Amino acid sequence: MNTNSNVYTIVYTTIIVVVAAAILAIAAMALKPKQDANIKAETISQMLAAAGFSSKEDLAKLGNDQVLKMYSDNVKTAFLIDAKGDKIGELETEAGNIELQDNLKQENKNIAAGDPQLPVYVFTKDGSEINVIPIYGAGLWGPIWGYIAFNASCTEIVGAYFDHESETPGLGAKIKDEAWFREQFKGQTVNFSKPDDSFNIVKGGAPKDDKSAVDAITGATMTCNGLDAALDTWFKAYMPFLQKKAGAEGVDEDCCGGDCCGGDCEGGDCEGGHQHEHNHNHQEG
Amino acid sequence: MNEDLKKTLLNPIFKGNPITVLVLGICSSLAVTVQLKGALVMALSVIIVTGLSSLVVSLLRNSIPNRVRIIVQLVVVAMMVILVDQVLKAYAYAIDKQLSVYIGLIITNCIVMGRIEAFALGNKPIPSLLDGLANGAGYGMILVIVAFFRELLGSGTLLGFRVLPESYVPNNLVILPPMALILLGCIVWVQRAVQKDLQEK
Repeated sequence: MNTNSNVYTIVYTTIIVVVAAAILAIAAMALKPKQDANIKAETISQMLAAAGFSSKEDLAKLGNDQVLKMYSDNVKTAFLIDAKGDKIGELETEAGNIELQDNLKQENKNIAAGDPQLPVYVFTKDGSEINVIPIYGAGLWGPIWGYIAFNASCTEIVGAYFDHESETPGLGAKIKDEAWFREQFKGQTVNFSKPDDSFNIVKGGAPKDDKSAVDAITGATMTCNGLDAALDTWFKAYMPFLQKKAGAEGVDEDCCGGDCCGGDCEGGDCEGGHQHEHNHNHQEG
Repeated sequence: MNEDLKKTLLNPIFKGNPITVLVLGICSSLAVTVQLKGALVMALSVIIVTGLSSLVVSLLRNSIPNRVRIIVQLVVVAMMVILVDQVLKAYAYAIDKQLSVYIGLIITNCIVMGRIEAFALGNKPIPSLLDGLANGAGYGMILVIVAFFRELLGSGTLLGFRVLPESYVPNNLVILPPMALILLGCIVWVQRAVQKDLQEK
């Protein structure tokens, strides 16, 4: 048989490609449930790392079930908000059937269209609330995303975790690999007065007095610009919610300044008290 | 085992090692050798990909149209690599994330295509399978040796367990890719000192 004829070549390559595609399709379908479970546990462990429950390295050593249990044990509530910051739905948090709003790519499009359903995950840690929100955007080679943890009144970032699909190892990939980069976010705030540019990643070093800026990574300009844009976009989408939280807590704080912060101080009030104490210490220092 | 098969199996591991003698697959050997665990999984993945790809191409060798043989080989190699990647994603997700792009880049590892072109196209399935496995093993062995020193000196641990005392200050230079190149150079040096016939005049 003439293996060099055109017809043979075309038929042969077609068969090879179809067979290879079929094998891959079967393998992908068979492995999908297991992969999805892994991705879900990974997403949750990124939130837990951002909220400061454990380091990502330690979480990676736990099995999927343990990660899900840790989430259910520590999460208080999880819900969806719309563009105005109003609650529009609840997410299940029981260990058996945890619901996540983890299609961030779709939500990123919805934000642009003005009709997002954004998730807020509220954890309880050491008696106070931590609000965790996702961010998503374009890096240099592929998507980048992450989770930002705020304090109860959403006025201060208490932790962050970032991940990426295919940023350059050793350069852009440092948004995930370098602990110092995400540590910088702790204690920073979202600049409510500039909704379009509420957070900055500054090349050459962030000014010390700017509470809404962190240092960029050398050699990763495009990734840092992408992350900066992602933060601005998502913070803007969450802005109504964050401001409501900040406003509501502000009232509590005033209340605590008075004399209603007595014996039956619970939940939000306690947090207000803590905040007050913190400010007080700050003045002393 | 007859002499030919033995030679097929042992030659790629020592005398014709793909990394130290043929100088193939350098890029990934610099990238994935920071930790021993990653290197072991990478070595295993490459062994499986080279072995199975050589076997499949060898089975098809008489039917492959010569004009499109590289493309057919690429389809086979790419399929193997994606299968390995999918399995890792399902059963070793943390390691798959750590190895990131390098699993996918096994497709472009010169060892795989090199052995298919040089051996599997002209030999029977069983010797081809052994040749593929042996070349993967030769690559993997160097990877593991380099990773052993880099994790030991760079982090003071082996497979994540602390080996050197807490007082040891990890050498950050060892973690950076240039040190992997220097270590590779040392391995080449030792090998050529022992096997004198490898030395160029």
